[in-house]
Amino acid sequence: MELYLYIALFAPLVGSLYASLFGGSPKSQHVGIVASGLLFTSFVSSALLLSYVMGGHTVHVELMTWMETGDLYIPFGFVVDQVSVVMMMVVTIVSTVVHIYSIGYMDHDKGFNRFFSWLSAFVFSMMVLVMSDNFAGLFIGWEGVGLCSWGLIGFWYQKESATWAANEAFIMNRIADLGMLIGIFLIYWNTGSLQYDVVFSEIGNLPLVVTTWIGIFLFIGAMGKSAQFPLHTWLADAMEGPTPVSALIHAATMVTAGVYLVVRANPIYDLIPNVGIFIASLGAFVALFAASMALVNRDMKRIIAYSTLSQLGYMFVAAGLGAYWVALFHLMAHAFFKALLFLGAGNVMHAMHDELDPFKMGGLRKVMKGTFIMMTLASVALAGIYPFAGFFSKDLILEVGFVEHHYVIYTVLLLTAGLTAFYSFRLVALIFHGEERYKLFGIHPHEAYKFMLVAMSPLLLLAIIAGSFKMTYYQLVTSLLPDTQYHVHGEMTYWIMTIGTQLFVIAAIVFAYKKYSNWNSVPDGSSKLENSFGYKLLSNQYYIPKFYEEVFSKPYLELSRIAWKQFDLKIVDATVDSIANAIYKTGENTRDIQNGNLSTMLRWMVIGLVVLVSLALAFTVGYNAVGA
Amino acid sequence: MIDHILTLLIFFPALAAMLGFVVTKDSMRAYGIAVAFIEFVLSLWLWYAYDPMISGMQFMESMPLIPAFGINYLLGVDGISLFIIILSTFFTLIGIASLTETRRLKDLIITLLFLEMTMVGVFAALDAIVFYVFWELSLVPMLYIIGAWGGPLRIYASIKFFLYTFTGSLVMLVGMLFMAYFYYQATGQWSFSILEWYRLILPENFQLWLFAAFFLGFAIKVPMFPFHTWLPYAHGQAPTIGSVILAAILLKMGTYAFVRFSLPLFPDASVFFMFPIAIIAIIMIIYTAMVAYAQEDIKQVVAYSSVSHMGVIILGTFALNVEGVSGSVFLMLAHGVVSGALFLLVGVIYDRRHTKMMSEFGGLASVMPRYATIFGIMMMASVGLPLTINFVGEFLCLLGFYKQSHMLTLTAGVAIIVGAIYMLSAYKKMFFGAVTNEKNKNLKDLNRTEYLGLIPLVIVAIWLGVYPKPVLEPINNSVESVIQLMHDKAQSPEAKARIPDLSGKNEIIPMQEAH
Amino acid sequence: MEITLTHYLVLSTILFAIGLIGVMRRKNLLMLFFATEILLNATNIAFAAISYYIGDLSGQMFAFFIIAIAASEVAIGLGLLIVWYKRTGKIDLDQMNSMRG
Repeated sequence: MELYLYIALFAPLVGSLYASLFGGSPKSQHVGIVASGLLFTSFVSSALLLSYVMGGHTVHVELMTWMETGDLYIPFGFVVDQVSVVMMMVVTIVSTVVHIYSIGYMDHDKGFNRFFSWLSAFVFSMMVLVMSDNFAGLFIGWEGVGLCSWGLIGFWYQKESATWAANEAFIMNRIADLGMLIGIFLIYWNTGSLQYDVVFSEIGNLPLVVTTWIGIFLFIGAMGKSAQFPLHTWLADAMEGPTPVSALIHAATMVTAGVYLVVRANPIYDLIPNVGIFIASLGAFVALFAASMALVNRDMKRIIAYSTLSQLGYMFVAAGLGAYWVALFHLMAHAFFKALLFLGAGNVMHAMHDELDPFKMGGLRKVMKGTFIMMTLASVALAGIYPFAGFFSKDLILEVGFVEHHYVIYTVLLLTAGLTAFYSFRLVALIFHGEERYKLFGIHPHEAYKFMLVAMSPLLLLAIIAGSFKMTYYQLVTSLLPDTQYHVHGEMTYWIMTIGTQLFVIAAIVFAYKKYSNWNSVPDGSSKLENSFGYKLLSNQYYIPKFYEEVFSKPYLELSRIAWKQFDLKIVDATVDSIANAIYKTGENTRDIQNGNLSTMLRWMVIGLVVLVSLALAFTVGYNAVGA
Repeated sequence: MIDHILTLLIFFPALAAMLGFVVTKDSMRAYGIAVAFIEFVLSLWLWYAYDPMISGMQFMESMPLIPAFGINYLLGVDGISLFIIILSTFFTLIGIASLTETRRLKDLIITLLFLEMTMVGVFAALDAIVFYVFWELSLVPMLYIIGAWGGPLRIYASIKFFLYTFTGSLVMLVGMLFMAYFYYQATGQWSFSILEWYRLILPENFQLWLFAAFFLGFAIKVPMFPFHTWLPYAHGQAPTIGSVILAAILLKMGTYAFVRFSLPLFPDASVFFMFPIAIIAIIMIIYTAMVAYAQEDIKQVVAYSSVSHMGVIILGTFALNVEGVSGSVFLMLAHGVVSGALFLLVGVIYDRRHTKMMSEFGGLASVMPRYATIFGIMMMASVGLPLTINFVGEFLCLLGFYKQSHMLTLTAGVAIIVGAIYMLSAYKKMFFGAVTNEKNKNLKDLNRTEYLGLIPLVIVAIWLGVYPKPVLEPINNSVESVIQLMHDKAQSPEAKARIPDLSGKNEIIPMQEAH
Repeated sequence: MEITLTHYLVLSTILFAIGLIGVMRRKNLLMLFFATEILLNATNIAFAAISYYIGDLSGQMFAFFIIAIAASEVAIGLGLLIVWYKRTGKIDLDQMNSMRG
């Protein structure tokens, strides 16, 4: 079984190294195939491990020592237990699909080989993250996915916007990583170890204040990775990267790392329910906040990105309220249909020559039947219609909110569900229905390669049927996670809630369709709606990016310039130079003593003689006066 | 087994350098590489023969110089100095192998070999006067390298470097003389041996003054804020090889000296000054990172980043616990490798375009992809990405200091943010974007000589990031005995509280007793 | 009035001061030599007077030494002065500054 662990973990690394050998060469098909093949191997190993874990066992290995000094001992250790195996399955399934898809998507790209190197490296980092058995290993994977995300967002490095977005993502993640690092330090100095099992058994003995700070700092780390407010601006900008990257990293894996952290550290968060309430409230806020920005956006990928952000909010609500298995379940289901949505959007982008404004599309269902079906079904799943996967996971979260008596959170999430349905189907309607507005721009769309559609189909299948796994999943996961069932009191209340939510969502869908499925012109910024305050606020993301730029980025640069030019050069260095100058001046002035003029020298000699004689007298007299 | 390995390591390059005067110009390069290679192999042999389980000094040699005052030619290595010596020989080898300078190459190589002698001498010396002699001697070849092969302001830069460091060292010398005098007063015998000084417990007020005297000498060398302004000029005007050796090895002399002198000799003073020095370290980290961000010259970015990392090293040193001090020694090695590599990389582009202004570049990743990859790896190492060598050191330093103060470590941890900001921004200016400048369009990628220098550094940076144990273990053992010594000698209750007591752990052979 | 040692010493001091001022102020090399002679003779007077009044003869012997040395110094100095005058035509101190610092 250890063998399968190593295969699952290292196969992506091998793929990445293999691809990097061809990094500078022009595209070679075999690079993509080998990388995808190795990913598939990883997937198969993970599946084998899944069946093993379902039999009630776990696999735990220690590969070698990493850091050992003083009392600190950090090994490279990996564990496959119920939680990590679920994450492994999600990561490997989505990664394999994305790799195969990318063979087609990056077909004409010069950096084909380099792309697969980065992509597989990313999967390796993510596997390290979810399979580690200690916080330091988690941190390795954490920073590793940050690095690969930087490389992939900025993949088309000739584009200024792409590299800027890459740097923004890395730096914002780093700000959060500082919090995580402090959390790790706190854990080490208070429990003496960073191993999960040791920490979680010791955590109950710590004073509550310390535990609270640990929880807070770890969550700050999660906020960066999962783009919770106020560290959320990088996620939408990350859409600069190629679409498979968005599908893999910014829908299914990296951004869910924060949720994974909270779920994994549930023994800590169980002790500090106040922090949990904060997490849940922030999650609910983000859910609504992101959904509101998606309502009016005119960039297809950004709409889906905001949708991801919104759903991450849902996951944090569940995790914050202690329903860890629910959060993990939604993570899993969401990964499938969101990745599917992104990949479909990739098809549309390619067909539309990288055009992103849905208003410039329209009527594509005639030309792109496969993509149309997939994206619509994915959106249905996202909206949470029975019997698709989203219903089981999202509704469960709504139930959790209701049952735990957090009615404000419940209402916010319910409202967001409606908004989610609305903007998802606004997108679908604008792209696939109505007049073929793209003809105005001379674009000739065609469907994606057959094999790409075939590759996407497992995700479609899972998006539809994943709900049926709920029971098996629940049995599996609650061996490790707290086992709480959420029952709404009263049959009537339960049915009213469920049916009511469904009707609300369906109404939103219908409204969206009515409004957008017969669109026939491209808005140019002159309509009343587009100039209204609300619209401007939402489409400029509440002006938050501008705020960050004006209040943080620009002043920091200015401050740095002042620190250099005014302070370092003019004050610190000038002080040193002035000391040196003083000495030079003294030297220059006293040089005149030696000007070769005999009478001057004689004068100095006499003066010197007089001084020395007086000194000698003074000392002798003084000595005598003292001594005698 | 080789007797007197340390004397051999110190004087072999110098002898070879003197012989080098008769070597012809054309074979000088090969001669230099051969000598450096032999020296490096000798230092590897030193590592092989070193016993990591003993925490005290090994390979000791002693010969009286001025018996009346107890000045002996005393040498020895322990876990702390062993790896810095190997780093010195390694970098001399890499430096000479990847030299692209053509003017007066023979003189340059001879100078480098003399410099190697002084560097190994500083780290192997166990007698204060011998240490001082080598410390000052190392300034001379460096002065010559900057002054003769440097840029337009080279005379100003080299004189500033020399006089500034020299002044600090004079204050340190006064401190050493006082220390010897105290030893004489306490025991009736003169001695300048550091090991014997360790046995002396000084009254607190003497410790404070002596600490301050030694501090000035070391602080200018590190360089600590506000004594750091000589470094940007020295780096800016020095040739590539000068910057590489300066950043990789010479700066480490200061931080090494803190661990070798200030900590064990003056434990109470170290605790007393811990917080002010930590504040200076934090200023170094954040302030120089901001200044680095504002630079327009890529070499100055790397120069200021050196100061920023030295701040983390100082913080780890003054954490006064095993995790922190071992972290700081490890980070010394890591910083040497990464900074050396970065200066070599800057040298690569300077050799091609004879400019270091980032505005002249842009889009280099399309033209020189291999160069961009190696620069990217080293850039990420500098930023402290896990699984690179810098992360291990930074993590341990911050972890160590966290025990002493939560708030200050949080502030210092901002290092990882500001570090990312200036490094990523510089990398973007140089490598990303479209190629706008005509002159950049036909640049050649790395050639064999340059690879020869860079590939070993990349390998070390990743290997020691993944598996630091072979290096961390000897360092750990030696540091444990230093901390134990400090705890035993500490007199004030605060010092006893802040320095951990390790006596409960497994057998530690105290420093004085090793062979 | 009794002539005591003090009178001689005062005379010697006055002469010494005259000589010193001459050394400091004179621009002409020849005048410098005169001033130097005055200095030396002032010390001679002091030596001889003290020797007489104390009764120790070594002071007067020392005065002889000084006369001899002064004579030889003047001889050499005047010789150099003649040579210098032949070379440069002037013996003004201010213009002899080729050994600058």
